[in-house]
Amino acid sequence: MPHRQRFTCDDVTPSGAAPAAHQEVSDDIFSTAEIPFPSERPLNVYAFDPSLGKFVGNQMVTHVRYESLEPGPIGERFAVLDYDGSQKTFYKPVNLDDPKLLMTNGLPPSEADPRFHQQMVYAVASETLQRFEFALGRRVRWRTRLDHSHPPAPRGASRRLNLFPHAMCEANAFYSPDAHGILFGYFKASRTNPGRNLPGQTVFTCLSHDIIVHETTHAIVDGIREHFMEPTNVDVAAFHEAFADLAALFLHFSHKEVLVDTLQKTGGKLFEFKLKGDAELAQGATPAIQSQLSTENPLIVLATQFGEAAGRQSSLRSALMTPATSDGAKEIATKIEPHERGSILVAAVFDAYFTVYGRRTFDLFRIFRAGGGNVDKSDLPAPLANRLAMEASRTAEEFFTICARALDYCPPVDITFGDFLRALLTAHLDYTPDDPDHIRDALMQAFRLRGIVADNAISFSEDALFWPKVVRGSLRVPGLIFGDPNGLTKEEKDHNGDVLRAFAVKHADKLGFDKKAGEIAAPSFHPMFSTGKDGKLYVSMVVELVQTMRVPFGHGVPGTFPLRNGVTLLIAQDPPEHDKRPDPRVRFVIPKLYQPEREERVRNFYIGSGRATTTSPAGHDGDKRFRLDFALLHAGV
Amino acid sequence: MPRSRSTSATSSSPRQRKPAGSGTARKQPTRAADAAPAPAGAAAKGANGLRVRMYRIGFGDFFLLSVPTGSGASHILIDCGVHAKDLGSMRAAVTQMAKDCGNRLALVIMTHRHADHISGFGSCADIFAQIEVERVWMPWFENPDNPKAAAFQASLVAMAGQLGRQFQMRLAAGPDPASEQLLSMAENITGGLGVAGIAANQKALNVLHGGFKGSQPNHDYYKAGDPPTLPPDLAAAGLTADILGPPIDDALIGQMTNKNQQYLAGATESSDQPERSKPFANAFRGKRDDYGDKAFAPYGFDKMLRMLEGSQPDILAAQAQAADKTLNNQSLVVLFCFGGKNLLFAGDAQWGNWENFLYGGAYGTPGHTQLTARAQDILGKIDFYKVGHHGSANATPKDAVKAMRLGCVGMCSTQEHAYNEVPRAPLLEALRQRMNDQLARSDQIAAGTDAPANPDAGPLPKAFSAPAHQLFIDYDF
Ligand SMILES: [Zn+2]
Repeated sequence: MPHRQRFTCDDVTPSGAAPAAHQEVSDDIFSTAEIPFPSERPLNVYAFDPSLGKFVGNQMVTHVRYESLEPGPIGERFAVLDYDGSQKTFYKPVNLDDPKLLMTNGLPPSEADPRFHQQMVYAVASETLQRFEFALGRRVRWRTRLDHSHPPAPRGASRRLNLFPHAMCEANAFYSPDAHGILFGYFKASRTNPGRNLPGQTVFTCLSHDIIVHETTHAIVDGIREHFMEPTNVDVAAFHEAFADLAALFLHFSHKEVLVDTLQKTGGKLFEFKLKGDAELAQGATPAIQSQLSTENPLIVLATQFGEAAGRQSSLRSALMTPATSDGAKEIATKIEPHERGSILVAAVFDAYFTVYGRRTFDLFRIFRAGGGNVDKSDLPAPLANRLAMEASRTAEEFFTICARALDYCPPVDITFGDFLRALLTAHLDYTPDDPDHIRDALMQAFRLRGIVADNAISFSEDALFWPKVVRGSLRVPGLIFGDPNGLTKEEKDHNGDVLRAFAVKHADKLGFDKKAGEIAAPSFHPMFSTGKDGKLYVSMVVELVQTMRVPFGHGVPGTFPLRNGVTLLIAQDPPEHDKRPDPRVRFVIPKLYQPEREERVRNFYIGSGRATTTSPAGHDGDKRFRLDFALLHAGV
Repeated sequence: MPRSRSTSATSSSPRQRKPAGSGTARKQPTRAADAAPAPAGAAAKGANGLRVRMYRIGFGDFFLLSVPTGSGASHILIDCGVHAKDLGSMRAAVTQMAKDCGNRLALVIMTHRHADHISGFGSCADIFAQIEVERVWMPWFENPDNPKAAAFQASLVAMAGQLGRQFQMRLAAGPDPASEQLLSMAENITGGLGVAGIAANQKALNVLHGGFKGSQPNHDYYKAGDPPTLPPDLAAAGLTADILGPPIDDALIGQMTNKNQQYLAGATESSDQPERSKPFANAFRGKRDDYGDKAFAPYGFDKMLRMLEGSQPDILAAQAQAADKTLNNQSLVVLFCFGGKNLLFAGDAQWGNWENFLYGGAYGTPGHTQLTARAQDILGKIDFYKVGHHGSANATPKDAVKAMRLGCVGMCSTQEHAYNEVPRAPLLEALRQRMNDQLARSDQIAAGTDAPANPDAGPLPKAFSAPAHQLFIDYDF
């Protein structure tokens, strides 16, 4: 994926291994004997969760950005700390800078060697972070405290996240802001009642590529958005699960080597659709392809294996197998368990993915058939399987990016599936105005068939679903500093905070805030730098403005809850005109503002989900009970 | 079915507020429950003679609804159980109830299988063996012919048993009020183990399924919306009933069964010796010094370990609470209508059960954010409400309170210090206001000398009557 290199937002200089002593200064500034640092570090990882069973060649190589590493590995962005809380012991940390390991892509995959486990969580988490940073065009910071009512963490904490590959003997894995890290559990399947696993088999959640990506994604989203973890409506927990699953699945499928073998063995039957007559497509119709159309779809089989061995639920399987018909659309009104509900969203995005993949590979099949090939019986020839895998992987990578970018186009609080649909479409339009493969159409159709609608959208059309654009030049934020891709200084950040808060007050009416309802904070602002398809560099900033009201539960329920109103702003810094840099221009105002009905909905939702009662005796547990707890969510309670 | 008149008298006449319990009172036909010679048009006579009796046994539900019919009072028993804070008065109360109904119940309703709603059937099986019962209503979860429901209940009970053992292990390590409460929660599902090793709740269920006198009753298993079958004399007297809960969701049930089984598969491991669950060979054991200083920065090693430990919630506790809620949400919610009066018995229904009735579906999903017209209509006409789940906050949604008719009457069977925050004072206060102070609590009367009335509960409101030295509070329409 060479294009991922065209822009790096966080070039980590291997400080520990700085160039050897500066020798006598040479006059020749063009020559050096120094060996350049590699740009990437290849590392072995399992391609599939080994507890699923034996796979031949269950191995792939992940390329992560090179950095020098201490034993752990301990790098700039992740510290792998292998402390086992159940056994009360450390396991020996792997030293990936050991020359023997540098020669061999690290340790070979092994369930028995904890050092390989450390390597794998490091590799996959790093890969996930890098893909997100590439998609977002900026560096991601880790959250170090729940919100601004908590004391700040020590300096530097936001740079590095902890990964505990064997934190506990439990069938669970979760991102925990309290541990400033991700806890992976392991467990021994019962000898008598092993469920899906082999009796007595030890299952390590940290050996599942998908689980690592899933958890890292939770941490990334939490780092980006301060209030996103507040379960203010029935979609929030489901959204987080779905989003993390989408990241995991698309990242997994972007590894071609995962797909080639499967494609070849199954005759490329990614779905039934392709096996239908050419006529159907020749008519120019663009039928939405539904993932469930074939239970043989190998990608679906791969997708549904997600976390199953590690004790996760199998709701993904049923969602992907549920037809996206008017009947299937009913599920959106009945499914409320977060994983089940989230699976509807995953299935919708996957439907769109298959549609686009189908459009992109259709010609390959025609050529193959025209040459006398038969996809119905024989194995596909390797070159064709390879091409198909390339398309599937390229499309997966694109969908990963689309989903990641949509994050910046979501309102800052109270996310719904409908908001996410609007964010997906708007982000895609914004980054890729031309859309030859009709990705937006595919997304729209897929969501419609799954019954996911956007609030306040008058119709199911692109125009109605895009967030409305602010009239060019009608709202500007003078004085905002964009800095460069490596981030802002503390002084610049303080300055931007002041500018944005003042801006929010001044333009409260235009933005839709009621100034009297409370202070408007700017919990985050992230400059972004991206290269458009036209080759231009775009400089912009995503800003959250959030107003918090303390609202009583009332009616026999003591206490208050935080009700947040907010907007996400997308602000562009246009290039200088006539030697003058124009004031930054607001392009989008993506709102989730105060409405009495929304207040009532949030109140009911908190009460209904048992968050109205404090468990701590002092009555002051901060607002932690108004945040998702992934430990419980992933344990299914 | 012909019935014997001679034993149908109630022990006391609420209208006369006369102390009862004397032998004569039993023989004497009273005007209260079995007065009205009810023709088909009973409604014209209003609800005169309709009575709700709440027995005081501790933390548990035990209600007797007496309906005047053409041939005297006919009785409906709604739950009979106590679990936490057992006052020891169950046996006396069941004996009293048997007397009250003349050993004949037209209908028994088991709202759900928590011990605090059914234990009396087991512990007083001998008394129930002397009582004739015509019909039994239970939630659809209890239908032995529904394999999904049966599997679900079995897995829930197995899980509760497993959880109970875990909490017992915790308690063996030392006293801990939190664990005691969790154990109590788990044992509410199983009933705890009886002498013969049979879970007490199973024994109670056996009685409900076939431990009554003579020919066994017909069993009905209902879900929201089912048209229920009433015994003929009650129907003839003009009583009608609607089933408002529990909702049915096969898919959810299937998934939760799975979840429980998955949990059980994992749970067996916790009893393993640490040695056996060692994941790696000793050669891989490491120490803190294997890491550089950078590894634990910026928090530092000790803080880091504390953070790691502190970030792991008590999953077992959460499981126990979830199981408790699941069972409460199985509650059969029945709306009775008699002589123009509407009585709502909500069992221990919590949000998941209520929301289906209130909003017509899962709250917050498209089209389910407002009270349905039907819910508004029903609650707006309510005359009597059996307060859900002993007054806990989650069992009477505020939207339901807001929609209840001002001045309706409520009864709440409760006992303090059985569970945290039950009963929930602010909720009871809100209800009391809604009800113009016509809210009775079971702990407003004494249960013998050992269990005096709870002074914090306040005096019994005037709308109710409670003869001295008796174990019940009455409300007469
Ligand atoms: Zn998750």
